[in-house]
Amino acid sequence: MSKLSNISNMAQVFDKLNDLKMLFTYGQKLIPIIKSLVDFMHETVPLLENINSSISDTTSKIPKASNQINNVTSATELATTEILDIVDSISNDITKLEGALKVHKEESEKRDEVFNEIKLMLGDSPKAKELIEKYEELNVTTRNMDELLTIFAKIRDDAYNITLSLQVQDITSQQLAAVNHLIESVHVRLSSLIIDIDDTDLQEYDSTGIEVPDDATFDPNASYDKSAERQEQVDDIINKENEQASQSEIDKLFS
Amino acid sequence: MKKVILVADDSPTIRKFVSFSLAMEGFEIIQVCDGMEALEKLPFGKIDLIITDLNMPNVDGYELIKTIRSNEEMKDIPIIILSSLGKSEEIAKGLSCGADSYLVKPFDPKRIQYEVAKYLN
Repeated sequence: MSKLSNISNMAQVFDKLNDLKMLFTYGQKLIPIIKSLVDFMHETVPLLENINSSISDTTSKIPKASNQINNVTSATELATTEILDIVDSISNDITKLEGALKVHKEESEKRDEVFNEIKLMLGDSPKAKELIEKYEELNVTTRNMDELLTIFAKIRDDAYNITLSLQVQDITSQQLAAVNHLIESVHVRLSSLIIDIDDTDLQEYDSTGIEVPDDATFDPNASYDKSAERQEQVDDIINKENEQASQSEIDKLFS
Repeated sequence: MKKVILVADDSPTIRKFVSFSLAMEGFEIIQVCDGMEALEKLPFGKIDLIITDLNMPNVDGYELIKTIRSNEEMKDIPIIILSSLGKSEEIAKGLSCGADSYLVKPFDPKRIQYEVAKYLN
């Protein structure tokens, strides 16, 4: 019985030794792979450090880019306001000139009426006729004034068109605010990535360093479209809404 | 006596454009930079018409319109929305809050004069 037990134990030992041998054989095959893995790690670590350094470098530059955008917005806002002040001043001058010219035109028309009466009183004297013709040739004031009023109206229209075009500043400032918001998001993500890789930089990147006003609001889809088409689409929607409202009011009346 | 128009927009240039377009038509313009400032100004003066943006800090345009419409003393003041938001759902939302007209940016100065004249002349 004990002999049988010993044989069984020995068989188990051989089995285990066999397993061990297979393990060593497998280990021998695995060693080159582990070695290449270690080599790969050796090569990768500097690469990762390089990536980390690049991210740090990029991240540190983002606030500057963001602030540049804010500066551009402020500068265009200031320039637009200045241009609009000038346009405003021109428009005010045009309004004054138009007013003065209209008064002058009315006086000129009254003068013409008086002259016509005088003309009738002068009769058929050839000298008088000659002088009247000469006077009428020279008296082009009223016609000139009409031309001037037309030019003033054109200048006013041009001023309106300038204000329409200048609204591009508002649209671009909204687009820039949207870009800044995007930059801020990227900055936060990159900063958190650096913190994950190397938490010693936590203090350095704790603050985003981007100056985005708390009360900044923007439409990321704002577009500079001067065509009347957009407003016409809005008008169509409003008209449809009004029609529906009127119909419901009619229905209410007859119910 | 000049009619008074309150312009609420966080963009100083847009406030200036609107003022430019309407001041020469003989209106007095009061400028505010958001809905909250508009609500602060409204009870202290006779405002004949309001032009408001939708995207504004603190109190946005939708909230401003709803507050005005729910106030017994101010509910009848005509309101014109002036916004860069031009999608149908945004327009519908603005109108459902109680706005009378909706203009998209960039706006034509003559169109805003026409809209204002509709309510004030």
